Amino acid sequence: MASPILDRELKKGSAELLILSLVEDRPRHGYDIGQLIELRSRGTLRFNIASLYPLLYRLEKRGWIRGRWVEKSGQRRRRYYRLTPAGKKVLAKQRDGWVEFVEAISRITGIQYA
Amino acid sequence: MPDFSNEIRKRLAGLQLSALREHEIVEELSQHLEDQYEQNLRGATTEDEAYRAVLVSLDESDLLGPELTRVERQAPEDSVVLGAERKSNMFADLGQDIRYGLRMLARAPAFTAIAVLALALGIGANTAIFSVVDAILLRPLPYKDPGHLVVVWENATHLGFPKNTPSAANFLDWQKQNTVFEGMGAFAERSFNLTGVGEPERLDGRRVSANLFDLLGVKPIVGRTFVADEDKPGTKVALLNESLWKRRFGGDPSVIGRSLALNGESYTVVGVLPNSVRLPAFGNWRDQVWVPLAFSSEEAADRGDHYLEVIARMKPGVTLQKAKAEMETIAARLAQEYPKYNVRIGAVVNPLHEEIVGNMKPALLLLLGAVAFVLLIACANVANLLLARAAVRHKEIALRLALGADRVRLTKQLLVESVMLSLLGGVVGLGLAYAGLNILTRFIPADVAQAETISIDAKVLVFTLAVAVVTGLVFGLAPASQASHFNLNDTLKEGGRDSGAGVRGKRLRSSLVIAEVAVSFILLIGAGLLINSFMHLRNLDPGFRADHLLALNVDLSEVKYSDNARRTAFFDEVVRRVQALPGVRSIAVAGNLPFTYNGDSMGIAVEGIPDPPSDQWPDVIYRAVGPGYFSTMGIPLVRGRDFNARDTLDTTITVVVSEKTAKHYWPNDDPIGKRLKAGATTSDGPWRTVIGVVKDVRQNDFIAEPKMQMYLSYRQLKSLMPNALVVRTAVDPLSVASSVRNAIWAVDKDQTVANVDSMEHIVAGAVARQRFSMLLLAIFASLALILAAVGIYGVMSYSVAQQTREIGIRMALGAQRSDVLKMTIGQGLKLVGMGVAIGLVAAFVLTRVMATLLFGISATDPVTFVSISVVLIAVALLASYIPALRATKVDPMVALRYQ
Repeated sequence: MASPILDRELKKGSAELLILSLVEDRPRHGYDIGQLIELRSRGTLRFNIASLYPLLYRLEKRGWIRGRWVEKSGQRRRRYYRLTPAGKKVLAKQRDGWVEFVEAISRITGIQYA
Repeated sequence: MPDFSNEIRKRLAGLQLSALREHEIVEELSQHLEDQYEQNLRGATTEDEAYRAVLVSLDESDLLGPELTRVERQAPEDSVVLGAERKSNMFADLGQDIRYGLRMLARAPAFTAIAVLALALGIGANTAIFSVVDAILLRPLPYKDPGHLVVVWENATHLGFPKNTPSAANFLDWQKQNTVFEGMGAFAERSFNLTGVGEPERLDGRRVSANLFDLLGVKPIVGRTFVADEDKPGTKVALLNESLWKRRFGGDPSVIGRSLALNGESYTVVGVLPNSVRLPAFGNWRDQVWVPLAFSSEEAADRGDHYLEVIARMKPGVTLQKAKAEMETIAARLAQEYPKYNVRIGAVVNPLHEEIVGNMKPALLLLLGAVAFVLLIACANVANLLLARAAVRHKEIALRLALGADRVRLTKQLLVESVMLSLLGGVVGLGLAYAGLNILTRFIPADVAQAETISIDAKVLVFTLAVAVVTGLVFGLAPASQASHFNLNDTLKEGGRDSGAGVRGKRLRSSLVIAEVAVSFILLIGAGLLINSFMHLRNLDPGFRADHLLALNVDLSEVKYSDNARRTAFFDEVVRRVQALPGVRSIAVAGNLPFTYNGDSMGIAVEGIPDPPSDQWPDVIYRAVGPGYFSTMGIPLVRGRDFNARDTLDTTITVVVSEKTAKHYWPNDDPIGKRLKAGATTSDGPWRTVIGVVKDVRQNDFIAEPKMQMYLSYRQLKSLMPNALVVRTAVDPLSVASSVRNAIWAVDKDQTVANVDSMEHIVAGAVARQRFSMLLLAIFASLALILAAVGIYGVMSYSVAQQTREIGIRMALGAQRSDVLKMTIGQGLKLVGMGVAIGLVAAFVLTRVMATLLFGISATDPVTFVSISVVLIAVALLASYIPALRATKVDPMVALRYQ
């Protein structure tokens, strides 16, 4: 696990990308998103409630994702977030940017992926 | 399950969220914590441990508060939006947009002032013209069920009278035989001399059927209208109009029952009618007194004398077509019964509203179209201003988008701004319209009914509001949609310069200028055509010399001047006295001066020529005049002599004919010495010997070709009375008016004198309608030209400013000032050229609707089209020359350093 400071900076830069990616193919609620990040990063990345939700609200405000209360029988209503068309464009750009960024870092540091 | 909501609420306390927003966050976060708690429990910890672990995660990096503050602070009102219904926020948003818009408008006062002024001109013109259209065309007549009221005419198209005034006997038959009308009333003009109360006064009035006012549904202010019983000879009752009642009787209700001396006879006043009652009238006839029609038995049987006007009310359920059909049937029957008078005489039924206002309709609709065009040009101008400003505001808009502003919301906000602009323009425009109407109403021809009801009322206000809002949306749409469509990345990369998105902006601005030029071209062509045809009208020879000519009405009392000798004595004395006045060249007795009367014509029989069949009998206009009439009026005598004092009832009865009459009856002979008489050869009137031929005079209608005319000497007439005097002066004719009046009163102190006017003014009144539309269209077209010039200037200035760098480079590379001038003006000319080309095609098509308003020129008059094109291009050249000149002053070094 990286140092707390690096962890925070990395998260800040990539958090938007992560969240947008996760709601790309279907709507998800906040807890689900948090769980998936932790799960898919095999525990490397974790968002606690205090950083996850402000981020979700900010993305929503920018119009990149949109939250909606959804009710299912026998359950309390939950707020599901889905990607908006504007978010889709941002996601595509951020993906390209990220790939470029990683490649650039790799070229400098000499780290190669298998 | 523990409740986390209180823990969360505690941590949100400092954020000052709205209740709804807080509730939502609490609900969402506590669910998250519950999920986490349940998961912790599955990890086999105790409930207590699981609970504490959850709370720890909540406070892990102490971020919730600060992070949320940053997110939620941006626009607190917005937060309510999430998940809540959109509708409840429309007004909160609107309020915010309005406040923001006001700040933006206040920040650019010059821009705001120019835009508001342009819009005020456009909206004001629309408001003014709409209030005229509303009063004259749209407002129902002030009668009961006005839609059922119609006017019925005889149709004598074959004699040149498609709407002829019916004779009394025909009217009475119509009244008896029809089944389609609830009632039918007739009326005829009659003037009255009011004497015995203060100064003698001549009053316009009518004889009316007793049922006429009940038929119209008129309620008297005091007293009553006529009753059927009063519609017979010898009943001397009268109705007064409101103005006369107030002016002469101080609005005293006790006037009812009072006796008035009218034309030397005593009438009892039975009622007062409101000013809104205005029967259709020719010229500036304004009814002030009404008396019963009261046909004598001879009158009631007369089919040859056509002088009535008829209004009827259709029964409920009867259509205009049905009424027309039945009246045609009745007319056909009468034609069979009385072939001598009625052969080929049909009947015409027209809605009363159309009769009263119909002749103003084409001009008013044209003006309404014109002001709409002016508004369109103003819109294009303001849209251009907004576009130019949008370019300046790129950075602001880009920043707002980057900060997460919603594009729809942004568009809405820009629209709110433009609607606010146009509402401001509407308010100022309303003021302009109010001021303009005061001037405009002075040019409305005197005989236009309802003109005095023109005002800015609730309906007009609603119209103005609607126009303002629609205007704001129209001119705001282009800039708003452009602003919300631009590419965020490009804008940020451009560093705020206007190039990428600017190309589209420039194209839009250019098309707006092209449209402006095209629209103002159409307006200018319209105005040019009207001005041109008005010139043609003014150049028409009326057949007499109108300058230095004073005209006045002198209606003699039938009682006091009952015979020819008394009339002659009176007029001889008046002529003698006036002739001696300083400044007077000559004076003559006249009857029904040109353009003041639409009647008095008859068929004549000519010695040696068989009478034509009755349906082919041409009418000849006749006038009773005194010696010296032709020379005083300036009507050239072509052959023979004028009347003189020796032509009396005891000598040869004489007549002077117009050239047209002479050509018609004696195309190959000298008309002098030939004889004619009124009516058929067999009629008992005397033969009249032609003693002179004069030039044709335009008598009733300024525009139509003069009809056949003849003049009779009043000294040789037993019944027909002259009613006017004409005075040729060496000075301003109105300056002798009071001495002429005094000369008349010196002869008879009770004699009324009315309508004292210069002949020039009377002629001008005959073309008042044409002048009205010409003047207004010319004003609106000039407005359009100015707005278009400002538009061209604005776009050229802007484009020069944008090209500063390019111009700088060119000049640095050796371009001469003249090259730069040529380039810049060339750009302006290209736009104007395209606008003129489009306008030319459109005007070619559109001006055809004006054909009925034109005189002497065609709707596609090449002279007008060419000269307007030249004017517009010249103005456009000037408008782009000033910015071009500025372009040549660019210092290459400064330009190159510029960004």
